Amino acid sequence: MTTILETQDVVVRFGVLQAVSKASIKVETGQVTGLIGPNGAGKTTCFNVITGLQEATSGKVMFDGKDITNKSPFKRARMGISRTFQKLEVFGSLSARENILVAAEQRRAWDKSGFDPTAVCDEILESTGLTSVSEFMVGTLPTGTARLVELARALASNPKVLLLDEPSSGLNEEETEGMARLLRRLVAQGLAVLLVEHDMSFVMGTCEYIHVLDFGSIIATGTPLEIQANPHVQAAYLGTETVEEAS
Amino acid sequence: MRIKFNAKFISAIVVGVILAFVINKNWGGATFLSAKNLSTFLVVGIALGGIYAITAGGLVVTYATTGIFNFAHAAIGCFLAFVYWQLSVKYHIPVLIAMAITLLVIAPAIGFLLDKVLMRRLRDASLVVQLMATVGLMLTFMGITLTVWSPKTARTLDHFYEQSKGVQIGSVIATWHRIITVVIALLVAVVLRWLLYRTRLGISMRAVVDSRSLAGLTGAKPSIISGSSWALGCMTAGLAGILIAPETGLVVENLALIIIVAAAAAAIAQLKSIPMAFVGGLIIGLSTSFSSTFLKFGTDWSYAGDAIPCIILFIALLFLPQARLETGKVRLTKRTERLTKPWEAGLGGFSMVLIVGLWANGWIPWFSGTNWGERSAVWLGRGAGFLVFGLIMLSLIPLIGWAGQVSFANYAIAGIGAVLFTHFGGQNGNPIGIVFVMLVCAPLGLAIALPALRLKGLYLALATMAFAEFTDKVIVRHPNMLNPSNSGVLYKPLHLFGVTISTDTADRKAFVMFLIITFALLFFMLEMLRRSRWARRWIAMSDSPAASATIGVNLTTSKMTVFMLSGAMAGFAGCMLGLQNGALRVDSFPMFAGLPIVLLLAVQGVRYPVAAFMGALGLASFPAITELLGNPSWLTQLALIGPGIAAIAMAYRPEGAVFYSGRDLAGILPWRKDAREEKALFIAKERAENIEKDEINDMGLSRAFTEDKVAQLDRVLSITDAVDETKMVNTGGQS
Ligand SMILES: Nc1ncnc2c1ncn2[C@@H]1O[C@H](COP(=O)(O)OP(=O)(O)OP(=O)(O)O)[C@@H](O)[C@H]1O
Ligand SMILES: [Mg+2]
Repeated sequence: MTTILETQDVVVRFGVLQAVSKASIKVETGQVTGLIGPNGAGKTTCFNVITGLQEATSGKVMFDGKDITNKSPFKRARMGISRTFQKLEVFGSLSARENILVAAEQRRAWDKSGFDPTAVCDEILESTGLTSVSEFMVGTLPTGTARLVELARALASNPKVLLLDEPSSGLNEEETEGMARLLRRLVAQGLAVLLVEHDMSFVMGTCEYIHVLDFGSIIATGTPLEIQANPHVQAAYLGTETVEEAS
Repeated sequence: MRIKFNAKFISAIVVGVILAFVINKNWGGATFLSAKNLSTFLVVGIALGGIYAITAGGLVVTYATTGIFNFAHAAIGCFLAFVYWQLSVKYHIPVLIAMAITLLVIAPAIGFLLDKVLMRRLRDASLVVQLMATVGLMLTFMGITLTVWSPKTARTLDHFYEQSKGVQIGSVIATWHRIITVVIALLVAVVLRWLLYRTRLGISMRAVVDSRSLAGLTGAKPSIISGSSWALGCMTAGLAGILIAPETGLVVENLALIIIVAAAAAAIAQLKSIPMAFVGGLIIGLSTSFSSTFLKFGTDWSYAGDAIPCIILFIALLFLPQARLETGKVRLTKRTERLTKPWEAGLGGFSMVLIVGLWANGWIPWFSGTNWGERSAVWLGRGAGFLVFGLIMLSLIPLIGWAGQVSFANYAIAGIGAVLFTHFGGQNGNPIGIVFVMLVCAPLGLAIALPALRLKGLYLALATMAFAEFTDKVIVRHPNMLNPSNSGVLYKPLHLFGVTISTDTADRKAFVMFLIITFALLFFMLEMLRRSRWARRWIAMSDSPAASATIGVNLTTSKMTVFMLSGAMAGFAGCMLGLQNGALRVDSFPMFAGLPIVLLLAVQGVRYPVAAFMGALGLASFPAITELLGNPSWLTQLALIGPGIAAIAMAYRPEGAVFYSGRDLAGILPWRKDAREEKALFIAKERAENIEKDEINDMGLSRAFTEDKVAQLDRVLSITDAVDETKMVNTGGQS
């Protein structure tokens, strides 16, 4: 198992607000890494730093052994980082099929293996169960389906690391289970997944390793069992005043 | 980081060197360090800068508090200046009372009305719709002013205390008007600052931009807040209009053009800082005064002084920080549509040729009483003109409709194309010239966009408008481009595929046919392009720039391609424009003339190539209706007001007429049950959304307004001046 993606002491400041403070996160290939924390903890900001949408105030982002801190978002995508968004970022005036196709076609800019984007697109539509809605404009689809489109689009770039920001929101229980199965299958094929999620049973059931973020700092890392037993984490989630005592 | 700094550093040096060169070259011979010259420069510059500062400050206040850039700002000021003239000069109402009525009654009333009927609806609209609606508003105010106060009568507004001599400063006399202007500007600055930072209403106003729920914390009603900012905007616009009218004269175009000045100052203020907007206004005022005091442009560049605000805007854009790729701003459409199939596009193109062909041959009845089988040369000439405008509209579809890059420059590019064509090919009927012009206009389209590529879409709209103004004032007026003494026909008839096309009466029918056939071919090409990966990428980029970047789209090159395509198409349209006009004048391409073209296209639906055809028909409907009604003189103003009002209506019908009528037509067809169902769904969704909006507006938010809430607002708005550095800790957001 190798570390494919790593943030080193990343700090992000918005004016006077320090949204991320010295956060170091490691993502390994072939497993699902969790990134959890209360609302406003800085999870999405971390994702933005990793994908280049947000410049870090300080700190480094390493990918595949290379320092990508100053690379623009599209270059990182071309290196193999792909993501979904907490708030939908679909291409609303394209059909579901076109949403995926545009990513598959874009992949030709760096992947010279001579694949056929249309075939890739159809395959992904099939495996994510979107074939029946493929001709609808995504803007008109229900949120849960649109989330799947976003995931399918991320997969179409054939990433090495996939960042998922609350993929289960807007999905019902059955769809969430489907999502979990899909993630297991993807990591089995050697993909690395970094998962931000509020649904704890989903997180605990899917992740091999978890980082907990609170007020911008990593307060705990470990396996799901270790995390569940960690008093800091409980304090952060319950919002109790016992943090000091616990430490 | 270092690279960015270097780029800025190099830009600064380049800009500095160019400015030094221009100043040196055009130095008028006056001594800089003479007390008289210096004080003239300062007195005039500061007074002018004060007026600009007022209008720019107001523009930034409305933008910062409502998120809508009001292109009509200066046009509203112009309208109010005329109202003031009517009251004070025509009705002899004392100056102060007339001013109070104009600025304290009429201006706020306009502001609240605008907020109620238009601006509130625009808040959640796309940038394209926002821009079209406020540009439409600008043309409407201009049109109304021109209609009420006919430009044929000259009007003047007196300076304040016109008779009195003023005050001696150094060796120049500062008139009372100028002194009062400066005092008022200072007062406005102080009042705005106080209002926005010290009053409850003002703090709420600052809060709404970022979050409506946050504004709720301050306890003010959202509708009052936004209404107040529009009222404030109109008041500053009106004040500036009244102050500057004595200097520029009561001329609608001049007063409305101050929008470029205000936009340049707003760009310096990065659209958010009111103090910087004042500084920006002052910079522009001083530069203008510097140029008029010390510089003397040669006859080749005689209008360059007028272009100073455009140039300052361009320079400001170079130094703006790169825009972040924002997330969470995706607007989900309620439209349902599918891709046009090739045979459908072919049929569409064929129908266009058929319709225009029948019309050109007189086989479609028309208003004017020509015989069956005949079409008057006048109407054929007009038809060619509308088709040329249709070609310009077509060039905007990939750019605005697909890539979401709002450009007001394509008419100017076409103008430059028309001028270039007089030099290359057009003057001897050589069709290769067209190719050459297209090859020049493609990179030209790109060059205009270049400074704004890395910025938010709004800046691009500003830059392109400034470029259109720059083209009119500087580029086409250079004698090497268009020689003003050469007023005859500039083009030889063009021989192409065995036909002769020109503006000559005998060639006009062939010209119309040539135009519609090329139009149909371009239409077909665009429809096919829409099915290609290029258009997919552009649309993706426009729907969500952030998501496009994260699938590996290089936004910069992707934008560059669409600008080049659009530029080349505009260049082609420009050759046709020149050929259709036959002769060009140096004032053939005013910035305002290009706007109705963009607006009419947007009203039809800027995403759909067929909208360009409908837009051309729409243009044709103005003279057609005028002729039908027997050419009443009042109708001529409709040419300005019509597109304006239609564009304002986009706030209510954002998708464009082609979409709505296409949907409704499909619903009539008995076998299109799906279309009827979709329409019902669409309407239901739209209604639900409107109810939600009204609820938000009606929320009587009434929580207490406390010190810590103000502090929270300040923190969220990143207003640091009040916050101690040591308090820089993570507060964990709103938890
Ligand atoms: N562009 C920004 N400007 C200013 N503050 C921001 C910005 N983006 C995020 N923040 C703030 O940074 C903090 C961290 O936000 P972030 O979205 O990363 O949290 P999160 O862990 O993803 O929360 P959630 O679980 O609610 O999604 C919050 O307090 C948020 O308000
Ligand atoms: Mg988040």
